[in-house]
Amino acid sequence: MLQIQNLSKDMGEFFLKNVTLDIEQGEYLVIIGPTGAGKTILLETIAGIYPPDSGTIILNGKDITHLPPKERNICVVYQDYMLFPHLTVEENIGFGLVLKKMPKDEIKKRVTDAAKLLSIDQLLHRYPDTLSGGEQQRAAIARAMVMDPVLLLLDEPLSALDGQTREMLRKELRRLHALYNITIVHVTHNFEEVFALADRVAVMNEGDIVQCGVPDEVFRKPNCSFIANFTSVENIFRGTCTSQEGASAIDVNGLTIISSTCKGNGEVYATVRPEDILLSREPVQSSARNSFKGTITDIVNNGMVIRVTIDTGIPFVSVLTRQGFDSMNLKEGEDIYLTFKASAVHVF
Amino acid sequence: MTTIIKNIQTSWLKYATIGISGLIAAFIVTLLALIVTRPTLEGLITSITSSEIHFAIMLSLSTALISTILCIIIGVPAAYALARYSFRGKNIVNALLDMPLALPPLVAGLGLLLFFGTTGFGMGLAEMGLEFVFTPLGIIVAQWFVNMPFMLRIMRSTFESINPRYEYVAKTLGCSDSQALWRVTLPMSANGLFAGSVITLAKGIGEFGAALLLAGAIQWKTETLPIALFLNMSCGNLNMAISAATILIIISITALYIFEKFGGSSRF
Repeated sequence: MLQIQNLSKDMGEFFLKNVTLDIEQGEYLVIIGPTGAGKTILLETIAGIYPPDSGTIILNGKDITHLPPKERNICVVYQDYMLFPHLTVEENIGFGLVLKKMPKDEIKKRVTDAAKLLSIDQLLHRYPDTLSGGEQQRAAIARAMVMDPVLLLLDEPLSALDGQTREMLRKELRRLHALYNITIVHVTHNFEEVFALADRVAVMNEGDIVQCGVPDEVFRKPNCSFIANFTSVENIFRGTCTSQEGASAIDVNGLTIISSTCKGNGEVYATVRPEDILLSREPVQSSARNSFKGTITDIVNNGMVIRVTIDTGIPFVSVLTRQGFDSMNLKEGEDIYLTFKASAVHVF
Repeated sequence: MTTIIKNIQTSWLKYATIGISGLIAAFIVTLLALIVTRPTLEGLITSITSSEIHFAIMLSLSTALISTILCIIIGVPAAYALARYSFRGKNIVNALLDMPLALPPLVAGLGLLLFFGTTGFGMGLAEMGLEFVFTPLGIIVAQWFVNMPFMLRIMRSTFESINPRYEYVAKTLGCSDSQALWRVTLPMSANGLFAGSVITLAKGIGEFGAALLLAGAIQWKTETLPIALFLNMSCGNLNMAISAATILIIISITALYIFEKFGGSSRF
């Protein structure tokens, strides 16, 4: 649907270097990368804010590289909402429709529909600065959705929100995407958003896309040490969640992990922080509900801490202090028990 | 021991500096009070209602209003360019546009007088009926030239404080570049524009040096409030001079109040 070929743009501090990327119709693509990777400038170049130094952008077979933004029908939602402070929520959402010279009653209807869709229809008469962050972002999304864009660009849309609001809006984005089958490119530095939303993920660094693929593949088989370090997602497992009295059991390749944070049934991702995993020579009798036996496959000395990888059927990573490591005298190939609490398992 | 000495020194510095600022404030109030209380109330009212002061008020107001509009029309686009775009020689242009601010108004007036009085361009304008030397038109041009940097600096910092992404969003929603400026950036700069206009208007009403050189001090012709103050002072007509000064004081206080209230965030 959108083909980006060899796109380059140098803006000094931020730059794009020969970016090539194909985005398919109806796809939810998440671009992840560290600050300064060029994520925002890529979105803004797609939207037509800056002319690229070289390269082409093709939208549905048409070369739009030098088309002004208003003729692209590509909408942008920013982290800081960018709602026009001198207009009400209603005027903000209807902003683009007024420019299209649409009849007033038609604008009213569409704005109301979009506001209802995002549950902000009670706020239409208010000014943006009286709204909470989540409400402002809903209004900004409504302002874009009402244009019926061919492509929706989201620039860290959830980063300015608090945890709970972020989770709600994340679900909202997934719902909107499913409902309208709209093509979305979403930029973030939060890997949870990748797993929660992405059909595909593209990892960006130093102005280039270094890897692109389905999240599982990219995070499991990073093609360079940068991705491995950047994501630094260890102990992340995809599995099927089933509720059990007060907690949930997640079946990961035949291994059952108990979590106290899992909600509902279905496909989920679970993570355990390496420092939450306790290693021992003998099984530990404790209230911790997860205990497995595995084989040490790798020991890496990081100076401050020692990282130990244990294969239990699925690979777990645990970290030990130097002192703890020395006293246990661990070696690769040895069997070991690992234990962690149900509350240490984070599910999303 | 050292900390105690340091504390004593800090408090000594504190009281000394507060004392100095208090003295300055008292001095300003004294000067203003001296002017306003000098004539009898009756004499003041007679002067203020005199037709000469009336003429000066109207001339000051109308020239200042027109020069303010000129400052907006010319200063706002220039400020936008300096805030939004990067181009070769931007630093030089920035410095030159601020130049009239540092220039003594008399020197600015002299330059304007030479431009309109001796160059072919100025004389051509005069032949077309646009006479600037020793006319009210000259007052407008003098006010505009001297006050332009104020409008420019206030609007430049106002535009700089507005995230350009507001315009980006507007453009993706169907605005052309100029529509984004007109529908988003300008309404968002309303406070800065208002503050800039108030300061330009107030300074225009009080403009003396540049206007004196270009438009002269001609009674009943180019007699603005400051010129009226100057002319009446020169011929010992103290009541008239002071009534002009009193009106200027009122205008200054009002402008300062409005500026502080609406334009407090603008630096210039």
